Amino acid sequence: MSEVTLPAAQRAPEAESVSPGRWVRENLFSSVSNVIQTVFFSLVLLGLLRWVLGQIFSEEANWTSVATNMRLLFTYNYPTEQFVRIWFAAGALFLAVGASFAAWNLNPMVTVRRIGVAVVGTGAVSLVVALISPDTTPSAVRTGFLAVGIGLVVLALAVLKVVPEPHRRQVPFIGMLAGVAVLVCGVLWFFPFGDYGFADGAPTAKSGTIDSSTSLPVTVMFLIMIGTYLAGRALARVIDLGWLRRTMIGWWVIGPAFVVFLVLRDPEFDWGYVLAVDVPMGAAFAVGGAVLLYLLAKPSRSDLARVIGALLVALALFHWVAAFFGWYPMLQKARFSFALVAVAVLLAPTFAGERAARLRFAGGWFGFMVLFHWLLTGINTPSTLDIAAPPFLGGFVLTVSIAYYVMLASFPLGVLLSLARTSKMPIFRVLATTYIEVVRGVPLITVLFFFSIMLPLFLPGGMGISDLAAVFAGYTVFSAAYMAENIRGGLQSVRRGQYEAADALGLTTVQRTAFIVLPQALRVSIPNLVGQAIATFKETSLIAIVGGFDLLRIANSTIPNQPDFLGQKRPALFFISLVYFVVAYSMSRASRNLEERLQEGQAR
Amino acid sequence: MTSQTVDQGTAGFSGHTRPPIWRNTSVLKWLVQIVVLVAVLAVFWFLAAQARTNLSAKGIPVSYDWLDEPANIQLGEGIQTVDTEERRLTMSRALWVGMVNTLRIASIGIIVSTIIGITVGIARLSKNWLARKVSSIYVETLRNVPVLVQIILWLAILGSLGKLTADSGPIPGWVIVSQKGISLPRVFLADGFYQFVSMVLIAMIPVWFVRRSLKRRQDREGGNTHATGITLGAFVVIAVIAWFANPVMAFLGPVFGGVESAWGSIPQGLMQLVLSVAALGGAVLWIKRFLDSRRTPAGLAKLIDDDWFRMIFAVVAALLAVLVLVRGWPGLSSWIVNSGSDLFGVISDKFGDGRGSRPIDAMKPTLSEGRFVNYGPTGLTMTVFYASLFFGLVFYTSSFIAEIVRGGILAVPAGQSEAAAALGLSRSQALRKVVLPQAFRVIMPPLGNQYLNITKNTSLGIAVGFSEIVQVGQTVYNKNSQTLAVFSIYMVFYLACSLSISSVVNTINRRLAIVER
Repeated sequence: MSEVTLPAAQRAPEAESVSPGRWVRENLFSSVSNVIQTVFFSLVLLGLLRWVLGQIFSEEANWTSVATNMRLLFTYNYPTEQFVRIWFAAGALFLAVGASFAAWNLNPMVTVRRIGVAVVGTGAVSLVVALISPDTTPSAVRTGFLAVGIGLVVLALAVLKVVPEPHRRQVPFIGMLAGVAVLVCGVLWFFPFGDYGFADGAPTAKSGTIDSSTSLPVTVMFLIMIGTYLAGRALARVIDLGWLRRTMIGWWVIGPAFVVFLVLRDPEFDWGYVLAVDVPMGAAFAVGGAVLLYLLAKPSRSDLARVIGALLVALALFHWVAAFFGWYPMLQKARFSFALVAVAVLLAPTFAGERAARLRFAGGWFGFMVLFHWLLTGINTPSTLDIAAPPFLGGFVLTVSIAYYVMLASFPLGVLLSLARTSKMPIFRVLATTYIEVVRGVPLITVLFFFSIMLPLFLPGGMGISDLAAVFAGYTVFSAAYMAENIRGGLQSVRRGQYEAADALGLTTVQRTAFIVLPQALRVSIPNLVGQAIATFKETSLIAIVGGFDLLRIANSTIPNQPDFLGQKRPALFFISLVYFVVAYSMSRASRNLEERLQEGQAR
Repeated sequence: MTSQTVDQGTAGFSGHTRPPIWRNTSVLKWLVQIVVLVAVLAVFWFLAAQARTNLSAKGIPVSYDWLDEPANIQLGEGIQTVDTEERRLTMSRALWVGMVNTLRIASIGIIVSTIIGITVGIARLSKNWLARKVSSIYVETLRNVPVLVQIILWLAILGSLGKLTADSGPIPGWVIVSQKGISLPRVFLADGFYQFVSMVLIAMIPVWFVRRSLKRRQDREGGNTHATGITLGAFVVIAVIAWFANPVMAFLGPVFGGVESAWGSIPQGLMQLVLSVAALGGAVLWIKRFLDSRRTPAGLAKLIDDDWFRMIFAVVAALLAVLVLVRGWPGLSSWIVNSGSDLFGVISDKFGDGRGSRPIDAMKPTLSEGRFVNYGPTGLTMTVFYASLFFGLVFYTSSFIAEIVRGGILAVPAGQSEAAAALGLSRSQALRKVVLPQAFRVIMPPLGNQYLNITKNTSLGIAVGFSEIVQVGQTVYNKNSQTLAVFSIYMVFYLACSLSISSVVNTINRRLAIVER
């Protein structure tokens, strides 16, 4: 980071615009080779565009198959009468997005000129589309492209003329957000999407029947997001938003799990059993653990904490040994809780401090245990959803959830593996290196097959695992190896002096790692981690091969098998390509912005 | 390291008393490691025991005996697709066909995606606005859509092409694109190829000496002696002459025939002796070089345990090799004798009278019964499955390679090309001799990663029914339920691929690395 980057506010303004004629001369026809390149690449571009348009507007392509199956593509067979759960989940998500943008003061600005040029470009492209689209294109579509193209070009040029100094004037983030919201909602309100559902027991396609039960909630949700963002920004002028950031981090770690397993899955609690067993057990672990941790987190009791922690680890391991030999029954949840208590007690010396720190530590444990038990109880309770096939997640929701949870679950595993691989302890190093290299050496699809076929065989009798959970476990195992390599890059960039300074302060190895080394290493590896998140998102498509109903599976086999759209693969495949592209591309743009922000933070 | 020194430091601080056992970090570290190791081993043992119990309960214990059983699998394509009397299609043979298919598509994919990637990557740095835009649209579109979606989309597109008829294709009879696949003329090595190659090689020897002396004169006197141009011109002239005159080389046939009989008459004992001496000599040489590398101006450096271990290992390995040669596997020596003689026999058959003079020939695709004949003397046909996997992989990977190339070229500081210009190098000379060699140093490691990715991604052929190793393996374990055994074969195969690619890339890297004083 030796390069000096200007902070955002002082960044040089964009250059004045040059006249179009001069621009063309300089950029397209400056020399002989330049002219040859211009001719060659315009031919390539026109040929490619013509070919793609031929695919899109071919006579065989029935785009109604996509417009009718929107619900299927996004939520698969989630029951329509329960759709309020989907809207609630989406609302929570939009709220969190708005609040997070406000909390971190994310306010990417774009100049009016750039937007104007982009709009002119879009208009020009749609004009070209109208001109060179093949003969099979419906004339209404061609006219539409022509009208939209002319409209956009004229509008953008007019705006660029009217607004003074368009290369200086910036559009705030909220303006762009509103633009996206208007676009999406406008499409939802006015485009005749259909629906594919069961009428009298037979699958039927209803075209052009979208009603306000879809467009209204989406509109409301965009309003919620914009409102939250504005409220957060207004609040930030009055008070410090540090607490909101911490809350949002917590929400992003735990919230999605609750949305999926408690809201979307709708577990039917057996309240008698819950009150008799689950609640007391959770309360015992939460309260008992908190008291124990509060007592042991006193700096003078570090040795005691270590000894008790070691004993608790032994006890936790013994519970599993006992389970193996069947000595005494115990809920699996209790075994996990014991193990967590043991780990927390071992960590107590690391967080040892004065009263306030101990209270925070014990309080954190209490909150974590309550959430943990609530979530586990919810997951273990049968769902009330009336769905033909077991997985209640499907389509885009499945794609996004799997990607999110895989990243979330492989993160701690990846951190541990990278620490083990860079550690000085030979056994840890060899174990971690073997794991990472073996997993990185084989393709993801074999790992997924292995887990979906073999995992049930490795489990003890009577214990089952759903297909989706097995695939998820395999994907996490796979992703953790890559995560470890990305974090290792960051770990190696932490300078020796940091270690030495931490040692000089008398920190323990765990404290040094957790409070000094890891924060710096993770900061450096953020761009790589975002890259991995994009790759993870794209590779969720492999779930289609091992049996999950994700976007790809629906587009490639569900829709082409519907009686109304037999063999219609290409439209849906083109559509999901667009969906993947929009998500992945915006993530990569966001990561580029983030990288610039991080560099700004580094520059002094 | 730092932590240990500090720990020992604090331990020393407290005077004579050693820290109590639960605070002694070196004890604790080993204790924790051993506990974790035992736990990991226990978990593995537990899982293995469960798997064995569960598999035995289902009546399918893990074994590899099925490898020799007849496969009864219909393979889509490959070096052998059907079971015949003379060549049985056993399970192991079927898996081997899958492996060859994987390697085939991976190697061709690596070559093609590298070419496309480098072209697009350089075009992204062009001065031409349109070139930059088109190539960046290419990159951004292709790398943001999952490769599996692209592969399946290609299958859908290729599957919707027209039916195969006698006059279909962009160039009927030569290049044919249909829903049966893509057929091109096959270029193959004809009768005169080996005569042609040996003639060119022999004729190039004097040219090579001329080139060397020209280069020396250029270095000595300055000025351009056109060494490369003259060499290329001579090569073209020689190649043209050899194209027609190569039957002259027919006399090499009897020469190689003589070598064949001479090699075949080497006694087995002599071969054993030669190989043993080579193994022992190799070990001695290695130890000598190793000791030389440990020698400093102040004398031999102190050898650590690891060094001794390496030297002992080298000697033990050489002795083991000798033991294997003499006692364990005496057949190896006679095998070398026999197959060496066979090799020369094969070479000698490539020369001789009555051979046509054409070194290279081409063949058009032949249509029979509404489909293409794929193997044998005919055109080259990609099935739609091969083509969709190939297009998907190549376009996807090339977009990543383009970014790598662009980043590598941008990573060379502008001062380097400015300095080259100041020295009077032309733009292309500066690119070839200054910028690209430095860019390659940055490009090579991520490029190797992409090659690994393309090899691993061939496994997505299972989604389009291309008979690569994973797809064949799946067919196999669906038949006989030997899942665990098949997965172990997958793992060994892919690890072997990964290791060989990464060792090639590492070797190139080491060659490219800056030699620092």
